[in-house]
Amino acid sequence: MTVWTGNEGHHEIFEAIAARYIEENPELVSSVSFESLPAATYVDALTTQIAGGEAPDIAWLMESYAAQFVDSGVFADLTPTFSETEGYEFDDLIPGAIELWSRDGNLYGYPFSNSPFGVYVNLDLIAEAGQENPRDLIASGDWTYDELMAAAAAVSSTTDAAGFLPHDDPYTNWNGALGQMWLAWGAAPWSADGSECQFTDPEVVEFFDWFHTQVYEVGAIPLPGEEFDFASGQAGFMMSQLSMSTGLGDDFEWDFVPLPAGPAGQVSVVGQGGVGVVAQSDHPEVAADFLAYFTNPESTRLLAQFFPPPRTSLLTTETLADAAPALSAEQLQSTVIDQSVEAVTKAGHPQMSQINDPIRVRLDSLWTPEGDAASVLAQVCTDIDPIISGN
Amino acid sequence: MISAVTGRRREGPAPSGSSRRLRRIDHAVGLAFVAPVIIGVLGLGLVPFGYVIWYAFHDWNPLVGTFTWVGSANFSQLMGDSTVWASLGVTLAFALMLMVLNVTLAMVLALLLVQKLPGTTTFRAFFFSPVVVSTVAWVLIWNFLVASNGGINGVLSMLGIMGPNWLRDPDWALVTLVVIQVFKGVGMNMILFIAALQNVPADVKEAARIDGASPRRVLTSITLPLMTPTVLLVTMITLISAMDVFAPIQILTQGGPGRSTTVISYLLYRTAFVQQDFGYASAIGVLLFCVVLVMAALQWGTRKRWVHDEV
Amino acid sequence: MYALLIVMSVPFVYPLLWMVFSAFKPANEIFAIPPTLFPTTWTLEGVSRIFTAQPFAQQYLNSLYIAALVTIGSVVVGALAGYAFARIRFPFASWLFLFLMAGLFIPTEVTIIPIFRWVTSLGLMNTHVPLIILPVLGPGSIVAVFIFRQFFLSLPEELEEAGRLDGLGRLGLFMRIAFPLAGPAIAAVSIMKFLASFNLYFEPLIFLRSEHLFTVSLGLTGYQDHYGEPLYNTQIGATALTVIPVLIVFLLAQRQFVEGLSRTGLKG
Repeated sequence: MTVWTGNEGHHEIFEAIAARYIEENPELVSSVSFESLPAATYVDALTTQIAGGEAPDIAWLMESYAAQFVDSGVFADLTPTFSETEGYEFDDLIPGAIELWSRDGNLYGYPFSNSPFGVYVNLDLIAEAGQENPRDLIASGDWTYDELMAAAAAVSSTTDAAGFLPHDDPYTNWNGALGQMWLAWGAAPWSADGSECQFTDPEVVEFFDWFHTQVYEVGAIPLPGEEFDFASGQAGFMMSQLSMSTGLGDDFEWDFVPLPAGPAGQVSVVGQGGVGVVAQSDHPEVAADFLAYFTNPESTRLLAQFFPPPRTSLLTTETLADAAPALSAEQLQSTVIDQSVEAVTKAGHPQMSQINDPIRVRLDSLWTPEGDAASVLAQVCTDIDPIISGN
Repeated sequence: MISAVTGRRREGPAPSGSSRRLRRIDHAVGLAFVAPVIIGVLGLGLVPFGYVIWYAFHDWNPLVGTFTWVGSANFSQLMGDSTVWASLGVTLAFALMLMVLNVTLAMVLALLLVQKLPGTTTFRAFFFSPVVVSTVAWVLIWNFLVASNGGINGVLSMLGIMGPNWLRDPDWALVTLVVIQVFKGVGMNMILFIAALQNVPADVKEAARIDGASPRRVLTSITLPLMTPTVLLVTMITLISAMDVFAPIQILTQGGPGRSTTVISYLLYRTAFVQQDFGYASAIGVLLFCVVLVMAALQWGTRKRWVHDEV
Repeated sequence: MYALLIVMSVPFVYPLLWMVFSAFKPANEIFAIPPTLFPTTWTLEGVSRIFTAQPFAQQYLNSLYIAALVTIGSVVVGALAGYAFARIRFPFASWLFLFLMAGLFIPTEVTIIPIFRWVTSLGLMNTHVPLIILPVLGPGSIVAVFIFRQFFLSLPEELEEAGRLDGLGRLGLFMRIAFPLAGPAIAAVSIMKFLASFNLYFEPLIFLRSEHLFTVSLGLTGYQDHYGEPLYNTQIGATALTVIPVLIVFLLAQRQFVEGLSRTGLKG
């Protein structure tokens, strides 16, 4: 059996779980091999392989493509296997976490990593720029996106460093970089079923307009084509997940705080990594059985060394401390655990592969000083309407 | 080489004892010798191209598993698709800029370095070294240098010049790609030109000089005209390789900003392997083949006007 | 003139120097403003991760052995066909030659979809087989045929005449006389095909998916996003490791290299 992942660093723990499964079920499967593919082109590679009939049995997938894989029937239904497996505790799964992977009450993927976004702060840089500690702003209820950007702009103008870095490059990966943020504006760029373009909704326009202002007027966010690295102290703030903490040394003082509030209030957002059984696999039942073992409460406890689990019972500072030893108990509680249960999952689209390019291309005309959000977003809808309206 | 392209060939050897049996053996051996490449090009070039034409008449989404005959729908979509026509323009602009810059620079370098002066070997090595560097490595280095806060703009800002955002400015991105490609490949053309220059018979040049021709006159009236067959060959090779460009675009711009660096071959790749629309991608492939053919034919068709000794 | 040459060589040489020195910079110095060529702090942090972040040594070997097989295959296939087109009279020779000319104009991207289908249905996905077969037999081999044909055309026929009198057959003439004399053409084809194979990026991107099977070109881009963080100095260090050996071989063998290219049929 073959499992594809986007990160080789975790194979050791995966293989340990697989070895135990094989030991207990030698008649079902003789080996499980984990292959990691480069993250940058992972989805393209996976879809291409499935297209060529060369699919793995189980595949990892990030949340933005969940809808596409579930809708197109690439992933098999896991509900029968999971609900029959003893001790699986299906009800322990956080409902909000599995929503994206479910259709009509059936589960097609398991979000083994359910990791809230937060903001990393370079405390040295904000002190140098004379800015207030975000913890104080949180305490006084003033932790908003505008405050964050004001502080970021101060960092950018008083030091050599950049102000605020989104989770990804917003100019080439719009959804990965902005999808967490616009939720705090109450913005939804497409309808729940994906068939209607809503980029022209006032909330969406307001968000993009705001972001444009932060880049070109406030100067809080690097311009297109500028490269900065938070881990080497080149930015005041960066939006990311707890996994990034493992790459931060003690070159500078830093903190990891919850997302700020936007016009629609504070919205906790999680990014997910899920696994599903590929329907065209040679033995989908066996794969599903392995997946049930791989994600049962016991295995999940092991996986929690790396991934915040989608199980309520395991969301404790103790289980998570292994995943992010650099984070304090308070950081874990306030930024990870408290956010996880209530969080909204970053959105995806059933035709993500088709709309991603056209939207990126059109948004490029927004990323100039004169760019006008309202007119560009209207054109985005003109571009993608023919693609998505068939839904 | 040029005679190779025209198919002009010397007479084969007349078998001395010209027996019929020997000739039959020759027939068999000749066919056997060319068989691997002929079968290979047939099987890996022509037959797949036939399939591409067939695919182009289908709507094919391999992820969902649909493959249905749609007649010429893909081609009529192609006709009205502004993205495709825009990328056709980008392709032509890219190929022409690359060809002109590359060939001109290669010629200038060759003329400078054909002279046997101390140090020319070292300089030849300098200009040739990017040729042996892997494309991806070369492109990755330049990715750092042309970042808007990267090395080049750093140098410019020390000179008081505000450099453009090379890869993110629609006016500059394509030019930047061309320049990076030229620096990468010009050394090869330089060597080919140097070889051709060394082949210009010294006595012809000498005779012209004795007749009182200035060095410039010798260059324009004798050296360059004798070089034109090599120039034709080099421009064609450069052009065909320009149509094949992939790594720099994938790594540096992904076809952006906007569609300003989306050449047709890259559009084909994204349509097929990212958007999973194999049918439409095949239609784009047919168009790409036609474009390459037309460009090569144009170049070939005009050769009589400027290539020396061409009939 | 020297001043001009020095200025002109900057964009060719500086990137390579910058690469070598940047491999020893801490990540934050790579984008230092104003930019520096030499590291202010020398560190092995980046270099030390080259082989741990990815199986880079394995990828290096993959690239080398694929390029070696492609080179050998191309020389054999190209020399045989080039010799036949230059020396042997056989039926349809000029038609077949014209056919090869046409094949030159089929861009790789166009035929990749059907070839991708065949590769998957033959179970050759995620193997090195397509990366070896395609350049040796596909349209990419045509240039090698041209180079050999042109070289054999320029080889004096008297040389073969002597062999013929000694009773050598066609195969013998080729193996004993023509091919051993084809050094410059062999060198030129080897250089071109080796570099082309080493440079390959599009095909490995489509056909390979396991890190341990990657070629260097794919491996290098992999440093960008591992763990979601770009390992800038590691990537640059690995890039330097890719470039330096090839560059040293080139500098040592420069004369043969350049002469091989110039002495083939690639002249007016």
